[in-house]
Amino acid sequence: MSQLNYRTINIDVLDPDASINFPMDTLLPATLPAPTTSSAAAAVAGEVRQLLRGGDPAAALRHVLDTAPLGGDERAKEVHLAAVTEVLQGIRQAEMSRVLEGVCTGEDGGAERADCLMKYLYKGMASPVSAQTPRKSVSPQSTGFSQIQGRNLGEGGGGQQMSVLLSWHEKLVELVGTGSIVRVMTDRRTV
Amino acid sequence: MSTSLRPYLQCVRSSLSAALAISNFASQTSERHNVPEIEAASSPELLLNPLVISRNSDERTFIEPSVNSVRVSLKVKQADEIEHILVHKFARFLTQRADAFLILRRKPVEGYDISFLITNFHTEAMLKHKIVDFVIEFMEEVDKEISEMKLFLNARARFVAESFLTPFD
Amino acid sequence: MAAPEIHHLFHNPIADHSFSPDKSTLAVARDSNVELYQKSGAKFSLTDELKGHEKTVTGVDIAPNSGRIVTCSQDRNAYVWERTPSGWKPTLVLLRINRAATFVRWSPSEQKFAVGSGARVIAVCYFEEENDWWISKHLKKPIRSTITTLAWHPNSVLLAAGSTDSHARVFSSFIKGVDTRPEPSAWGERLPFNTICGEFLNDSAGWIHGVSFSPSGNALAFTGHDSSVTVVYPSAPEQPPRAMLNVTTRLLPFTSLIWNGENEIIAAGHDCEPYRLRGGESGWQLTGTIENKTGPGAGTAREESALHMFRQMDLKGQTQADIQLKSTHQNTISTVRVYEETDGVLRKFSTSGVDGRVVVWTI
Repeated sequence: MSQLNYRTINIDVLDPDASINFPMDTLLPATLPAPTTSSAAAAVAGEVRQLLRGGDPAAALRHVLDTAPLGGDERAKEVHLAAVTEVLQGIRQAEMSRVLEGVCTGEDGGAERADCLMKYLYKGMASPVSAQTPRKSVSPQSTGFSQIQGRNLGEGGGGQQMSVLLSWHEKLVELVGTGSIVRVMTDRRTV
Repeated sequence: MSTSLRPYLQCVRSSLSAALAISNFASQTSERHNVPEIEAASSPELLLNPLVISRNSDERTFIEPSVNSVRVSLKVKQADEIEHILVHKFARFLTQRADAFLILRRKPVEGYDISFLITNFHTEAMLKHKIVDFVIEFMEEVDKEISEMKLFLNARARFVAESFLTPFD
Repeated sequence: MAAPEIHHLFHNPIADHSFSPDKSTLAVARDSNVELYQKSGAKFSLTDELKGHEKTVTGVDIAPNSGRIVTCSQDRNAYVWERTPSGWKPTLVLLRINRAATFVRWSPSEQKFAVGSGARVIAVCYFEEENDWWISKHLKKPIRSTITTLAWHPNSVLLAAGSTDSHARVFSSFIKGVDTRPEPSAWGERLPFNTICGEFLNDSAGWIHGVSFSPSGNALAFTGHDSSVTVVYPSAPEQPPRAMLNVTTRLLPFTSLIWNGENEIIAAGHDCEPYRLRGGESGWQLTGTIENKTGPGAGTAREESALHMFRQMDLKGQTQADIQLKSTHQNTISTVRVYEETDGVLRKFSTSGVDGRVVVWTI
């Protein structure tokens, strides 16, 4: 007697024509750029840093969005995300609108850059915050009956980085509308 | 409070409005059925890329859109163990009464405290922007509620301790 | 521009609607029935119900010349209804599908109709004299997911279909003995059944919600869940298209679209109002809404105290508290149809939506 319980096997998975086995790669357009490697992404990050230091944040943002590794592997995408985050954090609040208008509007692919930036904002918010403090292991004595210190100050781990992303998000939605968010959801070329 | 809460809620609002573009869709895996595709997850092309919106590492909203339903999950801030217990009890209280809430999911998605399941039947019967308002209001209220409960709990603990210790005075 | 004619029929979603050619009869799909409304004065009143489907009706279409009504539903069936002295008589169509039927349209010749389905096939149906019933032939390859929408080419042979696999396709539905051989066009010369004359995918994918051929049939427009409208101009058979123009918008996705002449498209969807796009082979762009914003909704906005307004903005990130939308439709528009036209140029079009309204717009 076999130990396999045949009743619990999902036989649909075994049928190549079943809808659960939908070929997701058919949703990728033929124009997808060739895969980039993490070293290429690192090189881009270097160039971007240079532009940022050179005092041209708009050019840095433009460059980093134009070189998004849509076809790259996970590692390359991670490296590139770090570069994008760096650029976003390197631009002051007061300059955001001006930079966005320059980068994300216009005939030369501004709409694509806007969609790409939107993808990065969501990816940035989804990725675990690097500087996570080990707050969960605090001993009961110090927490037990504490007053509501700091509860609503909005300062958990990574609050600073998130608030940068959130304000970029707000500015970007103002500029390009909800359509861009819809495209982040539908687009299978993830960043 | 509102300096960093406002952009967070604004972001949830616009993301949710975008995700709520859903329509009636009959199942393509089982005959004569019409089920929320986000729960059935039987056809990968009918699910869209999920979105995460976070305010910090303890407060997150997770939006999973599909062709005829959207799942919204919230992680409520829990700064210490009391808050953790309070959030847990509060979420349990609500989910046990999920019928009355229509869009509340009976079980939260893993890693989150409370989840909503919004289907095309909800957006047909209710105004879409009002559903969004409800979720936003809920996010706001739950924070306030937990704070209040914690204050109340602390006050009561102090009172109990005082009256317990008075005889030994 | 005249004010739109609004008919608020009930509080249920309208999946599809269709006017008879003289505009006196209106058929709407409501739940598992189709209701027929007769125009009396400026209003429509319920006169007849077509009962027979067991699940939500997804499509209804009145043939302009013969007056036959075809309906399809999520219960996998389609019926052709004919008026007899004793009322409307249904004839079951042999669709041979095992999932929901999602969309139905008569071909311009009225000899055939096409039914889209969740079984990943399109059933092209025609009447067989000798057996006295409607039978179907299946367009199968290379559809990989549910068909959401269909549109006929003016020659009644080519059929455009949109699917949740994010592709818009053009098929040949040529049936020997029913169709006459079509004139060769940019889409193809020889067109045996199930020839794929075009397969299109947007860069940002997204389920296709609406497709439409231009009045001449020489261009195809489709709109998807990525909030964009794409217009395709074919070059020659078996060749890549001459131009494929994609217009991304800042709006929520459109669900349906129609052409107005060769240089204008009207699309509507989740934003609850119809929009106009203009352009040609060199480029298309969104020009704006057709809705007249000073309409009924705008005047009813209440005066709010400044404190209240700022509190709302602060706490909820919301700029106005409202229960009524400013648009004529109060929920998603699901179907846009031609109401009155001459030589492909529209004078009026009609929309129906989830809010139970049918609206006739004058351009």
